[in-house]
Amino acid sequence: MDDDILTTLKILIIGESGVGKSSLLLRFTEDNFDPEQTLTIGVDFKTKRLAIEGNTVKLAIWDTAGQERFRTLTPSYYRDAQGAILVYDVCNYSTFSKLETWLSELETYSTKRNIIKMIVANKIDMDNREVSREEGMHFAKKHKTLFIEASAKTKDGVQSAFEELVQKIIQTPDLWENYGPGSNFHLGNKEHPAQSNCSGYCNLA
Amino acid sequence: MNEEIDESDFYHQDFTTASEWEVFIARLEEIVHQWKVDDLKEEDATNLIIKQGLWNIKQEKLQFVDVEFTLFYYKNTSVQHKSVEDDDDTKKCKHPLENLHDFVMYSESHNNLECPLAEWYGLNEFITLNFSSPNGIHVESQIKLLLSSTQLAINNTNCTIPIFVQIRDKWQNCYLGVYEDEQIRTNFEMIHLRKGPQHCQYLTGLVDLFKTKIMSPVSLPPITVSVQLTFHLIEFGISTWKQDLHDIDRENFDLESICALPFGVTHDPVTNLILKTTWSHLPDHLIVDSENYSDFDPMQAPKWSCYVVMTDQSLCLLSESLSDVLNTVNNNSSVYDILGDFVSSADHNLDNPLDLLTEPKLPTFSTVLKRAARNSLPKSSKGVAPLSEEVLVPILYFLFPDADDENAFPYSSNKEKDNGDNMSSSHTPSMMETECKGFKTCKENSLPWRIAIMFVQTLGMLGGPKAAAHLWFEFVQEMRFRWEKSIPIPGLPSGYPDPRTCLLNQKLQMLNCCIERKRARESRETSTPNVENQTVDPNSSTDDEEFYDCSPDKPDEEDKKRARHSLWNQPVGRLGKFENLKLIKTGDPLYIPITQDCVPKTEDQLEEDTDVLLQLGSDAQGSELRAKMMSASLLSDMESFKAANPGSILEDFIRWYSPRDWIEESELDEWGQKKGYLSSRMLISDNAWIQMWESAKPVPANRQKRLFDDTREAEKVLHFLDSRTLSQISDMLFSIGSHAAICRLYEECEQVSSVLPTAFKSLQRIIKYVEKISRNGKICDRIGGNLIQQIAALELCISQAHSLLYKLNPSRGCEQNIDPFVEKLMNGDEIEIEGTSKSYIGGRLITMFSEAQKLANMIMTEHGGLVDHHPTGNITFPHPHQREFVMRVSAVRPATYSIKSPQFLRTILSKNEFRLVGAFSEDVVFF
Repeated sequence: MDDDILTTLKILIIGESGVGKSSLLLRFTEDNFDPEQTLTIGVDFKTKRLAIEGNTVKLAIWDTAGQERFRTLTPSYYRDAQGAILVYDVCNYSTFSKLETWLSELETYSTKRNIIKMIVANKIDMDNREVSREEGMHFAKKHKTLFIEASAKTKDGVQSAFEELVQKIIQTPDLWENYGPGSNFHLGNKEHPAQSNCSGYCNLA
Repeated sequence: MNEEIDESDFYHQDFTTASEWEVFIARLEEIVHQWKVDDLKEEDATNLIIKQGLWNIKQEKLQFVDVEFTLFYYKNTSVQHKSVEDDDDTKKCKHPLENLHDFVMYSESHNNLECPLAEWYGLNEFITLNFSSPNGIHVESQIKLLLSSTQLAINNTNCTIPIFVQIRDKWQNCYLGVYEDEQIRTNFEMIHLRKGPQHCQYLTGLVDLFKTKIMSPVSLPPITVSVQLTFHLIEFGISTWKQDLHDIDRENFDLESICALPFGVTHDPVTNLILKTTWSHLPDHLIVDSENYSDFDPMQAPKWSCYVVMTDQSLCLLSESLSDVLNTVNNNSSVYDILGDFVSSADHNLDNPLDLLTEPKLPTFSTVLKRAARNSLPKSSKGVAPLSEEVLVPILYFLFPDADDENAFPYSSNKEKDNGDNMSSSHTPSMMETECKGFKTCKENSLPWRIAIMFVQTLGMLGGPKAAAHLWFEFVQEMRFRWEKSIPIPGLPSGYPDPRTCLLNQKLQMLNCCIERKRARESRETSTPNVENQTVDPNSSTDDEEFYDCSPDKPDEEDKKRARHSLWNQPVGRLGKFENLKLIKTGDPLYIPITQDCVPKTEDQLEEDTDVLLQLGSDAQGSELRAKMMSASLLSDMESFKAANPGSILEDFIRWYSPRDWIEESELDEWGQKKGYLSSRMLISDNAWIQMWESAKPVPANRQKRLFDDTREAEKVLHFLDSRTLSQISDMLFSIGSHAAICRLYEECEQVSSVLPTAFKSLQRIIKYVEKISRNGKICDRIGGNLIQQIAALELCISQAHSLLYKLNPSRGCEQNIDPFVEKLMNGDEIEIEGTSKSYIGGRLITMFSEAQKLANMIMTEHGGLVDHHPTGNITFPHPHQREFVMRVSAVRPATYSIKSPQFLRTILSKNEFRLVGAFSEDVVFF
């Protein structure tokens, strides 16, 4: 059924170590939660098909290690990503304040000019919250990104986080359509076949 | 026409015998009625309307026996509303000739109606009956028949729109027509000849003709005359604007002439400047225009207007040179195929292998160039090099300015970037930089940039594909030489390959990284040969360095620590203390180890890596394998850490490497630091981190296996460069060339922006396009061709603006009104010149006309021909290309008691054409 796939999208998950990047990915791809998720070394990835508005897209989601030392390694995999999910842990303020660094890193290494960014506030099921929703939203507004609160453990927001991101990417055809004017086919074409120039007229006989 | 009519109806008529003529007229009436109905309805319903400028045109086909005709209906939309208002005021249709229309201002964008009737008569609404056959209508009886058909149709339909019938051949644009309203009938008549009779060449004779034709029974009021003389300026002499193709003089090769892309046109894009001098509404008895004397001196004309005719046939140099590159994309031969014998002898670039030993390790830069020149000209007589030494050496100096201390074209160093570019060629302003930010090319004026320009130039002017291949060959030779001699490549941004630049730029950056590491290694070997653990003989070959290199430890630390550790367990490879942390087991300070630098990669290598990772699949097994593949650097760091911190345990490593996996407690341990424990995910039994920690041996970074093998990587890059086919080279350089072309266009746009405000808009469109091309990878003919077309169009526009400015304002002084004037001329419109001959623009026109006239006279006299004698004796202007007289009067016709009706005659006189366009009205009520 590969014919039905509109496009393949590359999505990154980045953020400080231990904020739950791999858990979010596991929840999204396999609807599972492993409290003993191992540390990611370098980069890893998972794929998933997602149906959005009648179109199926294939997602290749790249999960990265958050450790400082891996930052020399992981950005090489940012290439050609259309979307990025920046994760922080609501129970750890420093993971939130580091987002600025991650954003600038993304800016530096992403090769697409208008990559879609989404900020995910993870672990909202926990009691010892340090970052309020308002702070997160304010930050997202300031940097013009999408924002959602989620919990990989309770499933809250995970699915919508990915869906919203993909939807936004699809609304930006520049990002995923093949370059070159000849190969442009618009998403809209699927629903509305190209209108033939109606040349009918009334004969006043 | 057999109509079924109800029996009960008393009205019977038999149409079975209707003649073809009657059928034709009926059809004519039907169409006219239909259009009348359409006109009353809203316009949008009629999709049969063709728009031509401001005109709406409707058409219907009809037949007379077997001859096909088309009936056209023309309506000027711009006056539509006005006429409606007029109707309200006067309640009566105004005669279509009563509008004092004289001359239409030429305009490329408006009024471009193919049918000239509107222009000649000043009509806003009319119908024409055109024949479809190519033969035309010549027989007098046929013409009469058609004319009476229209007359009948007009009468039957009460149509107050003039209807014309086209006669004679199509190209003659000859029409006869009829108009009729309640009071007046107007006959439109036309004469078209190649050459008119002698007495009709001047106004005096024409006025007589007009009067005779009217034959009014009472004496005529003065005839109103308007005159227009048209002059063509074709020979611009010194005001000609064009770029000469550089004649590449191999003896005195001037690099400056080719270090920027060429721009402009080879022929003046302005082919014709047309000046019209106009006199309006003069009474006929006050003016004289005869063979011997004329009152119409163009210098004295009350109205001047002009427009220009442009050609689009000019060869545009910039777009042309880009299309040379695009064409080369189809050339799949390798550099060596093209150069053939010429390079085979110089295979491994050193004529004498001993040079390698005798030449100093760091050669003076000039040897680089000598060698390049030597290589390019093998002594053996295997043919002449495509690029001679006189041309090649300056180009190489341009590409590698560091080989010469006093080079005219240095690269701007990174440090100078903030202070502005010191390059003589302009530094494009920030607006351009932001616009071009998305380009996947290279930095402006960097080495790849210069190669692209030189490649374009060699292809276009210095000998075509052969020369271009030679250039590339020399370039690759130089790259190899620099790698072998460890000389950094100039003109490249420092650091790792930047994935936002093009592949060539990344490859060169990669090569520079390799050279840098090689140099670091070599300099250590020569300066500190006795470093601990460095057992490498400094004199040995540097090629197969097995170990990673990094700076040695600080000696003072070594002394202190030596006592604490046994000889086999000396701490090595320390960078510095990590905060105040102490090792959990021993209490020694925790040191950050010196680690291997990360591995630079170009995008094609990254893609390969990514593909490998992707092929492992997304299941757990794949993840595990990926982790293993990715763990080389982790293992290297662990080993370095162990070497720097003897007696350390995994917890120590984690505290440095992944602090979030170390959970602190409030309790203090024996060394005065907080106790803690590993996070639960670190404690998962047999996880990759624990496994790796156990397998890691204490090895300092400089003795580990190199994660990055600069020798191998450099060879890969060199091979990559060396093995490119001409097609691949063109492909790589095309987007850089386009980028350079955009910068060139921008400079030119700025110069003419005052007269060409749309230039930047077009440029922005081109920028968008190039951005896509630069990111798209392989260029194809269609897309590249499209780009070149767009560039050529803009280049031509800019050249036209240049040409006009040069002609009208050669000193580029800040004369007022010139810029807006030129801007309008650029639109192809006819513009009135305010102040006529006394204005600055008028003065320029006079100068150009008289220069051309002088030149013409010179040629005439040289050939013994007669100088064309003009009645005014004016030597400034040539004989008018065309003279047009419009005469009109209201006359009482045909009887003395008739009401006044408009009479009209337009004469168009030019060398090959004599045309009388008349309209004569008469009273149809009282005669």
